[in-house]
Amino acid sequence: MEEIAFFFGALFALGGAIAVVAVKNPFYSVLALVVHLVFLAGLFLLLMAQFLAAALIVVYAGAVMVLYVFVAAYVGGIEEPKWDASPELRVIGPILAVALFIAISIAVLGSGLAALGTPGPEDVPSGFGTPEAVGLLMMEDFLIAFEAASLLLLIAAVAAIVLAGRRREDRKSATDDRKSATDDRKKLVKADEEINAAAAGKGEGAR
Amino acid sequence: MDLVPGLPLADTNFVDATWILIVKSIVIFLVILMIVPILLLVERKLLGRFQQRYGPNRVGPYGLIQPLADVGKLISKQGFRPKGAVPILYELAPALTIFSAILTLAILPFGDVKDGVGFYGIDVPIGILYFFAFSSIAFYGLLLGGWASGSKYSFLGAMRAAAQLISYEIAMGLALLGVVIMAGSLSLVDIVKAQGDIWFIVPQFVGFLIFMVGGFAETNRPPFDLPEADAELVAGYGTEYGGMRFGSFMFAEYIEILIVSGIASTMFLGGWMGPGPGWLDPIWMLFKMWMLAMFFIWIRATLPRFRYDQLMSFGWKILLPLATLNVLVTAVLVVVL
Repeated sequence: MEEIAFFFGALFALGGAIAVVAVKNPFYSVLALVVHLVFLAGLFLLLMAQFLAAALIVVYAGAVMVLYVFVAAYVGGIEEPKWDASPELRVIGPILAVALFIAISIAVLGSGLAALGTPGPEDVPSGFGTPEAVGLLMMEDFLIAFEAASLLLLIAAVAAIVLAGRRREDRKSATDDRKSATDDRKKLVKADEEINAAAAGKGEGAR
Repeated sequence: MDLVPGLPLADTNFVDATWILIVKSIVIFLVILMIVPILLLVERKLLGRFQQRYGPNRVGPYGLIQPLADVGKLISKQGFRPKGAVPILYELAPALTIFSAILTLAILPFGDVKDGVGFYGIDVPIGILYFFAFSSIAFYGLLLGGWASGSKYSFLGAMRAAAQLISYEIAMGLALLGVVIMAGSLSLVDIVKAQGDIWFIVPQFVGFLIFMVGGFAETNRPPFDLPEADAELVAGYGTEYGGMRFGSFMFAEYIEILIVSGIASTMFLGGWMGPGPGWLDPIWMLFKMWMLAMFFIWIRATLPRFRYDQLMSFGWKILLPLATLNVLVTAVLVVVL
């Protein structure tokens, strides 16, 4: 049962992750990411991390992805070319990818694989992965890290608002430009009308 | 919170054997399946009364068999897919909506553990987060339905659903946080038990109001039925759907009304608690759910539809600060008292 659930979840989680980068349409990319997140939450459930699973779905699938979907659907329809990078990126990209792969490999070989042959922890402590346990960890043992992360998010939010505000000022000056442009056009239309009227008058006179 | 040995999935507070769980899920599903057509009929009847007309009164005595006729019509219709629709996603959308709606029913508690059988589907320690997790999955049903239909009305409806979701959901969650702080648990069963002295609607009245407003937006009911807004968008995300696929959207909407009513009863109205012997507990719970569902209908008949920018600024500028303030005051009071 566990094995079936694990391989089922792993298959869809991996498939979703690959589809995110392999699919051309950004809307499908976002949907693939949602599929990935949902099945990743399922894998968390297998590890008894229920709070993490619920938080993953509520925060990522429920809030962050909704914003992505919003943007992707509005921009949508544009098929992104799969690999159209500048010459510098063509060199740097693969190097960084290989470096990341090596880093992850070291981490996996060093820790994760060591536990592979063992049956795993015999008895999971009662209440492991519940909101209470996670809350105690975050509010007592890792308080500083937790607060630092929330401060970082706060700064990011404030920065986003400042940047958006600046963009709006630009747009205001742009509308000013447009206003003067419409004034110009009005003048032109008026001149046009005068010329037409004059031409019509001349025409009548000739008749 | 004892772990049942041999259970593969997470700690779910299962108190009973597997076969009881299967029977329970069937019973809960059947009860809700029976209530939905009655709710549908009562809504149409009541709307008729509110608007000084009769409502359905042709099929059967007093129009009682009307829902059966409706379902018969919907089932016998052709499953049609418009030319511009995206094949698999178009069929997937209503299934996803109804799937997540039915799964959420599992956490509604209809009573405490009696003779070793819990009167609820499951009592998960993440409790109310389960409700929010599945309601965010339900949203993808609307989104896919609107996007995959290949129609501008459907698309606009889906986009409105997205804009609406991010506007009310945070405030709705924060509104429940006050109750969670007071009860000291996320588990819905524990929250009901914590209301032995006083129902949480009294100390958490602000939270109750915010949750109900969020609930109207959650279920896409008037005055917040912007994703379907029939006066502007034909039927929004459901425009291109017919037959039982439309029926699924409709069915899911009514299940969600019952769920939101059920969550509100559990969190604020004392859940299964009420006078009388123990066997009345599920009846009390159903009664409270039913009264709140009637409240939904009453509001539908009373208020006009909001504009969607009104809903967004209402959600962000009024509900969210109010809910935050509610949580802050509750937290301070719980610590001080």
